[in-house]
Amino acid sequence: MAEQEPRKHSDGSELGETARQMRAAEPYISAVWKLVGGAVVGVLGGYFLDKKLGTTPWLLVGLSLVGISVGFYGFLHEMARLGKRKR
Amino acid sequence: MRKAMILLVGLMAAGAAYAAGADTHQEKESEDVAGYILHHVSDSRELEIEVPLSRNHIPIHLPEILIPLKAGACEKQMTDHGEVVPSLGAGCLDLSITKHTVMMWLAAVLLIGSLLIWSNRDKTKLVPRGTGANLFEMLVLFVRDELAIKNIGKEEGPRYTPYLLTAFFFILFMNLLGLFPWMATATGNLAVTLALAVCTFVLTQVAGIRSAGLGGYLAHLTGGVHWSLWFIMIPVEFLGLFTKPFALTVRLFANMLAGHIVIFFLLGLIFMLGHPAVALVSVPFAMGIYLLELFVAFVQAYVFTMLSALFIGMSVAMGHHGHEHAEEHGHGEGAHSHDHGKAHVLGS
Repeated sequence: MAEQEPRKHSDGSELGETARQMRAAEPYISAVWKLVGGAVVGVLGGYFLDKKLGTTPWLLVGLSLVGISVGFYGFLHEMARLGKRKR
Repeated sequence: MRKAMILLVGLMAAGAAYAAGADTHQEKESEDVAGYILHHVSDSRELEIEVPLSRNHIPIHLPEILIPLKAGACEKQMTDHGEVVPSLGAGCLDLSITKHTVMMWLAAVLLIGSLLIWSNRDKTKLVPRGTGANLFEMLVLFVRDELAIKNIGKEEGPRYTPYLLTAFFFILFMNLLGLFPWMATATGNLAVTLALAVCTFVLTQVAGIRSAGLGGYLAHLTGGVHWSLWFIMIPVEFLGLFTKPFALTVRLFANMLAGHIVIFFLLGLIFMLGHPAVALVSVPFAMGIYLLELFVAFVQAYVFTMLSALFIGMSVAMGHHGHEHAEEHGHGEGAHSHDHGKAHVLGS
């Protein structure tokens, strides 16, 4: 019985220009979403928890600050990782 | 050709002039134009067969299906705008057949029928014969070679081609149906485009899980930060998943709706300005937009399919990024080494 040839993996050369550019841009889009999304989740989470628990405005202020900080951290962390990969 | 166009424009202008002349309450008519446009582009529980060159129409009432999830939840309430069916939130599941549902069924029947007629079912003859068969083969090959393989890749592309073909042809047929008299554009309904986007969304997530594994997929949702920050980062990444299907939903809906509103508005100018001579300008313009809509029907089907393929391709590439993460942290060496070089090609 003939030995089965190992499956050849694609090198990505068949991809279109749009797909290549989108895949290259995707980590950067994701990093920006972390920055924006952190603030959005913090503010919305704080607002609704405040309404539910009657602690206005403390959870809104606290979670907004935490959300913005985590967003910045996530963004910088991702940027550092991408910078390291480029080098 | 030129004479035929002039004759057609003349006939349409005469029709519009007749319609304008027949109306003795033009002021009231101009006020009703916006309501008329909205009525025609929105979904309804009846099909209206308008009789040409008259104000008559034959309504076909479609069946109403209301399923109460709580006892007595589907009792209709009278408001200033007429009878209102309670929402799903109030416990009433409304599965009534609407104008757009009928259009979707019609598109599906036409699609299946035309593919059964024109698909080359004799496997001994590989070359299709006839215009229809060749046209379909050209479109099918275009979706496979230019959309699936170019956006997803040579290995994974063919796996997702059946879905992309279904989406492309279904959207195309729905778009084209809306250009015929007495028909409506189902893709101009937010619920329809949302359902189509949900299909792409599910497939995108499946592609991500297949490529990165369930562990890799879930790890991707943590954003690569310390576990103590997950309570913020997981909701952020989870919300991020929905941005792509949201873009798909709104883009297709807005594009299809806008074109139809422009055509209706250009024709409505005749009644708003109250003079038949306006038809000489607005009818050719409306015809121009109508021809543009014919092109847009193909373009929108192409763009939805292309973006779906692009999103699926990006999810497939998630697996490669996952391997990169592992490599950076000193794990998984050797296990997936054959992919690393390629990952850089894909990601750079």
